[in-house]
Amino acid sequence: MKKISSLIILMFLFSSLARAGGFQVALQGQIQGGMGLLGTGFLVGPSTLFYNPGGMSFLSNDYNLSVGMNPLISNVTFQYAEPSLYETTTDNPVGTPFTFYGTGKINEKISVGLGVYTPFGSSTVWGDDWRGKYIIQDISLQAIFIQPTVSYKITETLGIGAGFVYARGDVELHKALPLTGTDGEDGQATITGSTANYGFNAGIYFQPSEKISLGLTYRSKIEMNIDDGDVEFDVPTSLSTYFPENNSYSTSLPLPASINFGLSYQVNEKIKVGADVNYVFWEDYKSLDFDFEKNTDVLTDLEQPKKYSNGAIYRIGMEYDMNEKINLRTGFYYDSPVANDEYYAPETPDAVKLGFTGGASYMAMQNLSVDISFIYITGLEREATYKPENFGGTYKYNAFIPGLGVSYKF
Amino acid sequence: MKNIFTILTLLIIMIAGCEPDIENFEPKPGDADFSNYVAVGNSLTAGFMNGELYKKGQKNSFPSILASTFKEVGGGNFKQPLMKDNLGFGNKKILGYQQDCLGETSLAPIPASGTPDPENAASVADEGPFNNMGVPGAKSFHLLYPGYGGLNPYFNRFASDPATTTVISDAMQVQPTFFTLWTGNNDVLTYAMAGAESDSITTQQMFSQSVGGILQTLTSNGAKGAIANVPDITSAPYFTTIPYNPVTLNETEAAQLNAAYESYNTGSTGMGLDSISFKEGNNAMVIEDDDPAYDLLGNIRQIESNELVLLSLPQDSIKCAGWGTQKPVPDEYVLDATEIDEITTAIEGYNQTLNSLASQYNLAYVKISSLMEDAKKGIRIDGVEYTNEFITGGLFSLDGLHLTGQGYAIVANEFLEAINNQYDARLPLVNVIDYPGIQFP
Repeated sequence: MKKISSLIILMFLFSSLARAGGFQVALQGQIQGGMGLLGTGFLVGPSTLFYNPGGMSFLSNDYNLSVGMNPLISNVTFQYAEPSLYETTTDNPVGTPFTFYGTGKINEKISVGLGVYTPFGSSTVWGDDWRGKYIIQDISLQAIFIQPTVSYKITETLGIGAGFVYARGDVELHKALPLTGTDGEDGQATITGSTANYGFNAGIYFQPSEKISLGLTYRSKIEMNIDDGDVEFDVPTSLSTYFPENNSYSTSLPLPASINFGLSYQVNEKIKVGADVNYVFWEDYKSLDFDFEKNTDVLTDLEQPKKYSNGAIYRIGMEYDMNEKINLRTGFYYDSPVANDEYYAPETPDAVKLGFTGGASYMAMQNLSVDISFIYITGLEREATYKPENFGGTYKYNAFIPGLGVSYKF
Repeated sequence: MKNIFTILTLLIIMIAGCEPDIENFEPKPGDADFSNYVAVGNSLTAGFMNGELYKKGQKNSFPSILASTFKEVGGGNFKQPLMKDNLGFGNKKILGYQQDCLGETSLAPIPASGTPDPENAASVADEGPFNNMGVPGAKSFHLLYPGYGGLNPYFNRFASDPATTTVISDAMQVQPTFFTLWTGNNDVLTYAMAGAESDSITTQQMFSQSVGGILQTLTSNGAKGAIANVPDITSAPYFTTIPYNPVTLNETEAAQLNAAYESYNTGSTGMGLDSISFKEGNNAMVIEDDDPAYDLLGNIRQIESNELVLLSLPQDSIKCAGWGTQKPVPDEYVLDATEIDEITTAIEGYNQTLNSLASQYNLAYVKISSLMEDAKKGIRIDGVEYTNEFITGGLFSLDGLHLTGQGYAIVANEFLEAINNQYDARLPLVNVIDYPGIQFP
């Protein structure tokens, strides 16, 4: 118990860093998913490749494979700033974050692995006719990371590892334009684009005793630059000269860097507990600008200040070995907001988010386990405005994320 | 194990169906009673837009928008003397293509096609009494003028007895518990629209007597209400769209014109007055000025940059008939500095009267003047910028004087905020983009 309270103290030490949110999706493993999505210092299975490359060479089996996916069901309710009766809820599609990990030991010291996962993404659909339609109707941001990784066990207690990250991103967004035709229909802008860039994920894993392990990782920022994205405008004929055809845009969206620290403690034969702190450098997300190749008097570049702040996520979790076949897990996390109160755009829900998680693994066969997790996220009510467009009100977020995965080791 | 899965599945479905819940806004009437609402005023109250009073415009009048909100707090039915169609008396404009004298086609307000229903002029008085007593063209004192129906075709069609009744007496038939009054615009506008060459500005004394009388009657049964003040009408697109210097000349043309005005300039220099001069590029227009100072110069001069040209100026005459260069622009299309000053001074006086009457009768005071002042810089609402620019500004309709449906919704929100403040009410504001704006072909 003493140890647990020291964990809590450690968490408070980090609270001055408070804050994460944004469009990060930390669903990188079903086992971690059951435990508040922690895993920097808590070694479990091949998803360690993402959570801490330094720990990969400490995995007990020669080969590990896992696949998993999470249907992500999220809703945001918005109530317009008082006095108003306007309220609406998003109609978001079910998100589909997925993971694949494979690791293998080259020798006692060196392991290699490959991970494919989706750490950032956001699909927010407010609808074509909602009150904020001239700011955003819907947006879909998706990033897939492919990460080949090497891990080296320096000593029996210390390991390091690093992965090269190839990131591919896609964006699609729609917004209405306040240019009405004689049919009463709004103009429409559709922006699509994809891009790729590189980064890395590196970590140190330290296991000073049988009972205690610690981890520290750094995931680099990856700037997603689009130089030749497609933009289409559908406007009344009389205005078409202001919206040239075959136009394109360039933009840049940062996928922020993070520093992650975590530890785990084997309380007894059955119970292991852990905690993580993720510090995410959202401050890099200053603005989402679209620089159009062809400008006119009416079509000027789109500048959307965001002014995010850095943020931290605090996670605690535990695993209980019920019997040889079944492991049960539970966890909690606190994710603080990163969006600015006065630059809060409706495209990315952001608030104090509380995540309640549970999960289980079932050894279906000797080498094969089925892993399930479920996460319920509830955002606290947030009153915020997007000042440049004078649009604000109260936002409230929730999400339910079941998950299913299979792990195979030999 | 099977049971656990069943329970889990059910739980998943249950929680996933839960949308986040935010406590609802509760409207409250405060100290006011909105059960019988009557709106009194001019074309801006009637829902006049795009140069005409017609059904769709009336349905988007600010009083009609207000009434829909009042319904949330016990407001009753709101009856308007609706036109039969969307053409009214036939002066409606739409945005279309127009060819000028040089053969160039451009987007401009053009007459709406179609034949107006002759029934539009027929009396609908037997459907009354009406909650919207906005009468296009009415000045403050007209509202108290017995038999005003005989002078104004818009009132004639719904006055209970056009030959004898006043707008106010008909308004009282609603037995109002709440009223809005927005008057004073026409007291300066009719004069301004004539380039200050005909009609006259209502005197301050006349204005304050009229509005005082109107309020005395409207409040006589204890009704509460809101009164709006008068915006600076000279900031409406009708007066700001055509620049003082629309004439583009090349070097040769400028030289020829300068030569032609040589004798004028000799005279004006001798009299200590400005000369007329042209240069390559944009040029200030030559206008008529009946000021005796210019009597010896043929009563013409070049317009100053702070003077206003009216939207009624036939632009083909500038482009092809030598107006503004070889011929002076007639006085009726120009407001000179003195005239602008007369108008703005009168408005300031009206607004002082309205403000003090609002305090005297404990009424909500709606500062439309501030709203229109803000519009010069741009008012951003839900991602849309509204300005006083003609056509693209979104606030003013195609006549450059009256508002669009969205403009009236913005005005309705100003009323609602003032009412909330005055009467400790919680009336929800309306969603501006739900109302029609300018439509482009």
